[in-house]
Formats: sequence, structure tokens, C-alpha cells
Amino acid sequence: MRWFALLIAIAVCLLLGLATGEQWINPFAASEALEKTILWELRFPRLLTAFAVGGLLALAGAWFQVLLGNPLAEPYVLGVAGSASAGAVTGLMFMPESAWAMSAGAFAGAWLGIVTVMFFSHLGANRMLLAGVVLAAFWSAVLALLLALLPEQGLFRAFSWMMGDLSHSDLPIPVLLLAWAIALACGLFLSSSLDKLLLGERHAEALGVDVKRLRQRLLLLASAVTALAVTAAGTIGFVGLVIPHLMRLLFGSLHKAVLPASAIGGGLLLVLADSATRTVIAPAELPVGILTAIIGVPVFLFLLLRRTQ
Amino acid sequence: MSSLMNLSSLTVERGGQTLFSGLSCQFKAGEVVAVLGPNGAGKSSLLLAMAGLIPATGSIELTGHPLASYSRNELSRSIAWQGELPPTEFGLTVRQRLELAAGEDAEMLESTAAAMDIAPLLHRPLGELSSGERQRTELAALMLRDTPIWLLDEPTAHLDLKHQIHCINMLKAQRESGRAIITVLHDLQQAMAIADHLILIDGRGGAEYGEAKHLFESHKLSQLFDAPVVAQGSVLVPDYGGK
Repeated sequence: MRWFALLIAIAVCLLLGLATGEQWINPFAASEALEKTILWELRFPRLLTAFAVGGLLALAGAWFQVLLGNPLAEPYVLGVAGSASAGAVTGLMFMPESAWAMSAGAFAGAWLGIVTVMFFSHLGANRMLLAGVVLAAFWSAVLALLLALLPEQGLFRAFSWMMGDLSHSDLPIPVLLLAWAIALACGLFLSSSLDKLLLGERHAEALGVDVKRLRQRLLLLASAVTALAVTAAGTIGFVGLVIPHLMRLLFGSLHKAVLPASAIGGGLLLVLADSATRTVIAPAELPVGILTAIIGVPVFLFLLLRRTQ
Repeated sequence: MSSLMNLSSLTVERGGQTLFSGLSCQFKAGEVVAVLGPNGAGKSSLLLAMAGLIPATGSIELTGHPLASYSRNELSRSIAWQGELPPTEFGLTVRQRLELAAGEDAEMLESTAAAMDIAPLLHRPLGELSSGERQRTELAALMLRDTPIWLLDEPTAHLDLKHQIHCINMLKAQRESGRAIITVLHDLQQAMAIADHLILIDGRGGAEYGEAKHLFESHKLSQLFDAPVVAQGSVLVPDYGGK
């Protein structure tokens, strides 16, 4: 029943994503060439990008929460967002006219952040989290420095990207969708070990999980997925934090259900948020990260209160 | 009968400090070995080392082969380790916890849950259980592991009297079925009721192994715990003094 509801939600969100924007277009009744162009050449690719990026962020969030044994973990907790943002702003600074400089810089920056965090992967979950939080502070400082040095005309583009921007994604959509499918398949392959890790590292090991290897795989997988999502759409908060919790409430804690539900649920949240950003102040657009935070904060606080009670 | 596990000159360290050294013993099918000693002596660490969960020097052999030659997965098919479950924040239910231990054989799972008095708790999240209920859940998870060796770290901790007795009787039954059980205990009477052999870890770097009937002696246990232990009839009890 719940899976059926999720399928219905996919259909509703995709139709809403197609129909909404500066101009309301009924996808079933679009007859003019302009309407068809808007629907299938502008909105549909963007909707697929939003779905893939949202799904990737939710998957990464679910993985980081288990990897670090911390329900407050999210894809950017180990500083990958900060390093990616610093990379993006560096790209913008040195090649302000280039269309792909920010994405390339973000990808390089994200991987620099990941490689740095990998040095601390042999420490336990708590120390790795501590190292990640400190690294995040470092990358924030680097980002602040770069923004201070950035010419004024680049500032709007930089801030817009940092709050999440699906309008300038340079990554091909098939690449993003393939990454979404591969990430989900990898997650399902690891799901039994991930479930055992919920019992703590020692219990997981006693049940036959090679925890050290699992942690390395998980860190690499979650970080790579985060790097791809950030490269595609900037830093979009709360999807990776809230969606896995929401899906655990709806589908239980076992990862064979949580991961596919999160991959779909994260995608749908970002499709909805992106549809709203294109509509509320049309013809202008809001950065999508603002909407995900506005939706995500109350949902998360509700979950927090529910758990406390 | 050949031994399932051999320890030879085993030394266990934690945080750069030697907890005990020179422990040698054998564990056979169908016997219970109780591990006794003061807090911090290294009883739990001994079990962790035997489960391959922490490093140790000396030799640990499982069915004649070094423990290190087994993969984690192979070890989990031979050794079941029960320790206190850390708090979990992800809403895992009792049923899911048991499934993680032993797969999804619903009939077996439900009969084991009934045996440990946790059948009504199967759909409750672990985080909502009392300490005793969590302990019973962990014991049920252990019972679902069909391994020849069980390592138990204070299996009766947090249990009320009824369930303590139930737990000890369950361990006796498992011994009869041929399992080798090595268990840390704090209650002397429980140890006397069940143990064939004892490992005494003194907290000063020493460890001793021997038959229970030889080591259950008031003077020796008083020395071990640095606390008065007296004989009352045929049993040894802590001397709490008069009212």
C-alpha cells in the first residue's frame, strides 16, 4: 500500500513538475509547438535532473547516518559541500566567462574534500565525524576568503549556486540517472550489512560484517554521490537529512526498503521544491535550496518532537 | 573429546595496559566456562579477543586453526558473541533485531521470542525497551545463532530473578545440546550452578584456569575480588556483614 502510494506520488509530482512554472501548461492538452518545447525541452530535462539529484542526496544522507551512527548526519556533514563550494568559487574566479568552470571546480573541490576525509576513515565513527566537522569549518573559512576576493559581478552567481541551482546543470541527464540507478543498486547490495551496522560496529562484526571494509566502501560511495549531486546543482540542504528519516517512519528501518524509498522520495521532494521555485515569483526563480530548507526545517522539527515524545 | 577452541599464553592489552597475560586453556563442546573477576580486570576483553573482535598476543585456535585465518563471515558461523547493545537511534524493532541475527524464519523466531518472554515486544523499537527487555532480546538473538561456541558477557545483567533463573536454565539446556559456553558472570551462585570450569582474572595482570570444583574456594574468591566471600553450607556468598 505504501509503495503504491509512492508510485502515485511519483506520477503526481512529475505531472506537477511539468505543468507548473511561469506558465501553467496541461501536459495532456499541450498542442502548440511552444508549449511542447517548454514541456519536453525545458521542464522535462530539468525535472529529471531534480529527481536524480534529490535521490542521490537522500541516498548519501541515509548512508552517512549509518556510517557515522548519527541521525543528524547528512551529505555535507564531512565538509564536502564546503570544499565543493570553494572549488566552484575558485572556478568562477579564474574563468568567469566559462559555462562549466563552476561545475568543474565544484567536482574537483568535492573530491579534494573527500580525499582529505579519507585520511580519517580509519578512526571510529565519532572521531571521523569530529574531523569532518572541523574540516567543514576549514572549508567554510576558505570559502569566505574566496568570496571576499571574488569580483562583485560574480557574487550573485556564486550565492545562487551555493543555495542550489538546477537551472545551469552541466552534467548530462543520462549520466545523472545512471548514477542514481548505480548508487541505488550498490546500496541494495550492501543493505544487509548496513542493517547490521545499525546494531553498532562490534555487533555488526560479530554477525560477520567486515566493518572496516564496509566503512571504506560506504564513505567512498556516499562521498562520490554527494560530489556528483553538488556538481550538478550546487549545495541543496535538508533533502539528505530529512528524507531518510521520513522514509524510516513510513517504511521501517531496514535498508532494502529505506534506500529505494529515499532514492524516490528525495527525488520527489526536489521535483516539488524546484517546481515551486519556478512558480512562486515567476518569471524570476528562487534558488531551490531555499525551498528545500523551508520545507525541510518544519518536517525535521516535527520528526524531532515526535521522537522525543 | 577434542577441543573447539584453544588459548595458549594469551595476553590481552587495552589502551597500552596489559590486562592479563599467560592464559592457556581449552574449550570443549558441552561445557560451560564462567569468567570471574573484579571490574576492569579484562573479562569482557577476553571474550572480545576470543571472538576476534580485538587483537591479542599469544595464540587462539578455533578447531585447530589460528583464529586470524578465518574471515569475519566464517567466524560468525562458529562463534556467537553476546554483549550489551549500544543505543540505536534508527527505530529498529525487536523482530528486525532478531531477523538480523538469524534470517527470516518466522516460526523459529516467534518460538524463540516466546521462550524469552518477548513475544509481545516484537513490534516495539529497541529504543523503547527497558534494560531487562533489551537483555532478553539479545539473549533471544543469541539463541537464534546456531553456532558451536557462545561467548556471553554478563547474560543475566538487568534481568529480574525469574528471568535470571530462566537464563541459567537455558544455558544448561544449551550445554546439554553440545554447545561450548564461555560466560562472564558476577553472581557467584549462578557461576556455581552452571560452570564446569572457571577462568579467574585478578585485575593485577594474572589469569587462572581450572576446574570449578577446585577453584570455588572462599579464600581464593576473597582474594580475587578483594572482598569477603564466605561459605554457607555448600555455597559461597559475599559476606555483607550483619544488619
